[in-house]
Amino acid sequence: MNSPAVLTCKDLTIGYRNQKTGMKEVSKNLNLLLNPGELVCLVGPNGSGKSTLIRTLTGIQPPLSGEVVLLGKKIADHGPEEKAKTLSVVLTTPVETGFMTAFDIVALGRFPHTNWAGRLTEDDNEVILSAIASVGASDLTHRFIHEMSDGERQKVMIARALAQEPVLMVLDEPTAFLDLPHKIETMRILRSVARSTGKAILLSTHDLNLAIRCADRLWIIDRHGTLISGIPEDLVISGIFGSAFGIHGVSFDPVRGEFAIPIEKKGTFVLEAQKSVEQIWTWYALERIGYLPAEGGMGDITVTIRNDGGKTMWEIRTGAVAEECASIAELIESISAFDRRGDLY
Amino acid sequence: MKPGESCVRERFRNPATGPAPATCTESFRKVSLGIPLALCILGVLFALDIVLGSVNIPLDSLFAIITGGEVKDTWATIFWVWRLPKAITAVFAGAALALSGLLMQTFFRNPLADPYILGISSGASVGVALVMLSSGLAGIGAVFAGLGFLGDVGISFAAMLGSLAVLLLILVISAKIQSNVTILVLGIMVSYISGAIVTILLQFSDESSMHTYSFWTFGSFSGVTWGQLPLFAVLLTVGFVVSFLLAKPLNVLLLGEQYAVSMGMDYNKVKNTIMVSTAVMAGVVTAFCGPIGFLGIAVPHFCRSLFVTADHRILVPTCVIVGGIIALATDIISHLPGMDLVLPLNAITALFGAPVVIWVIVRGTRFGRGVTT
Repeated sequence: MNSPAVLTCKDLTIGYRNQKTGMKEVSKNLNLLLNPGELVCLVGPNGSGKSTLIRTLTGIQPPLSGEVVLLGKKIADHGPEEKAKTLSVVLTTPVETGFMTAFDIVALGRFPHTNWAGRLTEDDNEVILSAIASVGASDLTHRFIHEMSDGERQKVMIARALAQEPVLMVLDEPTAFLDLPHKIETMRILRSVARSTGKAILLSTHDLNLAIRCADRLWIIDRHGTLISGIPEDLVISGIFGSAFGIHGVSFDPVRGEFAIPIEKKGTFVLEAQKSVEQIWTWYALERIGYLPAEGGMGDITVTIRNDGGKTMWEIRTGAVAEECASIAELIESISAFDRRGDLY
Repeated sequence: MKPGESCVRERFRNPATGPAPATCTESFRKVSLGIPLALCILGVLFALDIVLGSVNIPLDSLFAIITGGEVKDTWATIFWVWRLPKAITAVFAGAALALSGLLMQTFFRNPLADPYILGISSGASVGVALVMLSSGLAGIGAVFAGLGFLGDVGISFAAMLGSLAVLLLILVISAKIQSNVTILVLGIMVSYISGAIVTILLQFSDESSMHTYSFWTFGSFSGVTWGQLPLFAVLLTVGFVVSFLLAKPLNVLLLGEQYAVSMGMDYNKVKNTIMVSTAVMAGVVTAFCGPIGFLGIAVPHFCRSLFVTADHRILVPTCVIVGGIIALATDIISHLPGMDLVLPLNAITALFGAPVVIWVIVRGTRFGRGVTT
């Protein structure tokens, strides 16, 4: 992409100025870049300075040193209306206003473009409806916002930010409070908006695996305020994730691209099966109850998955005992029964 | 335009596949019917407020009075000196209270906010109490007591001084404190302090001034004379015009301060304009009519439910009209047509108004709306 960057910052130091305690630096030496059409996810543990960075990049809070440049001009030099036409935001604060339809909310995004009375022209109407359509919320247009689910409301707020016709959209944890399918749907919408309109989108999130799958680029801030920018896959391979997020007992699994729930080891297993969905989920189930894959050929238990004429059967063997199971639930039941009887070792 | 975008827009041009490119049609249709209807009701009630009272003026005599025909002198006097200024005062006061209530509810995003939440009327009541009750006190009390000799004008003046003092206090503090919840708490604290001062003054005053003071707290539209009416009307009209100009920023404030600022709104300017115009409207009404409750909190909810909208371009004009209607209606009821008795206005506004508002809101809740800012 050769078009000039939407937002850049050079040697930026962010933090708070306090009259009594002086300056509190949150992060320094930040050299960042946001390109048109790019979806960037900002991730980091709680308290690492994500919000401070977002507040500084959107000009709500002045930097301690260095500068943020939006479309070739220092962000503090933009007039309020000019800035509103360049940059729009989606905040975490819930909107609980009554008597407003999705259309009314999205229409508010036209604020910097309309006259003193807020009169909507034919053009404004078209922008509003196309913003609603591009987040897939056309069927919600005339529904009241307070009757919507969190996921629907989030779509409307994204449409509002779009109707402002900015070059850059900044979203503060847009996937918080949503269930997993809606998290994915929201990310899909944002990515397609970035691709189809060429807007730069920056969002902060706690959903790491989602960020790894969706972002064009990740900004990771660690506990000490160090920011590393890169392509998600490179960052996974280089092990940055583990060191930035790892807390005692929780580690990042670079194969699955997510944090693994720590296992209290009970024994080892050998799984004999074709590669299949059943094989993967049997594997996960055994890990969940405390069994790790055995190094070499010998494990404490051996599980075989067979297909008996369209019916999947699990066979579990340990020492001399063997048992047939019709589901993973039965399999787990048998294993813990063996465990109680002391058959395992 | 990108290919995807044009296709999206195309879909909306085609009425067969997408919803019509309509604006908030339902509300606007209701308004285009509702506003003329409400204006008619306002006119009828205005006439009734003039005609009805302890002495009823027959309608044909009313026309004669206006056209300068021959009628009984007492009727003409009642019309010119009492009824007409009272009806005009009621319309302006009702509209101003409804509007300032709307401004406060939107600004604080709180359905319980009313015109007095900044402590404006509490300041006014301290001013009035000082004039009426402090004859026995030395020092500053004596100065205020001196105002009492000016009669009603002195009372209005004292009330305005009190409101102004509170407004200045709130403005100074709010310039330093950003959170508007803090301003809310501050206003309530000012009310408590004022209440305490008034209670102490009441403790040390004689029975007749206590009675005068409590009569002031009942509220009345009858106190404004022709001499005061121009000032009263002009100040309130300025408030109406400013509120109308605020409609657009008020709409974005519904999403909260942060969103409003992110869309390019000058928050401090809008905040100060809202506070000053609320204070002027609530302060002037309190100064001339006493602390009239209920109207300011109820009318905005009533209008939202009635017109199913939160759009201030609709709410500002409808609050003006509906506020006027309710003020006239309560004034008619409080003067008990055909009788000499006058009931306290504040009792009537709540007694007759509250059931109506409850009905509208409950009806609204059935459609999943209910009370909201």
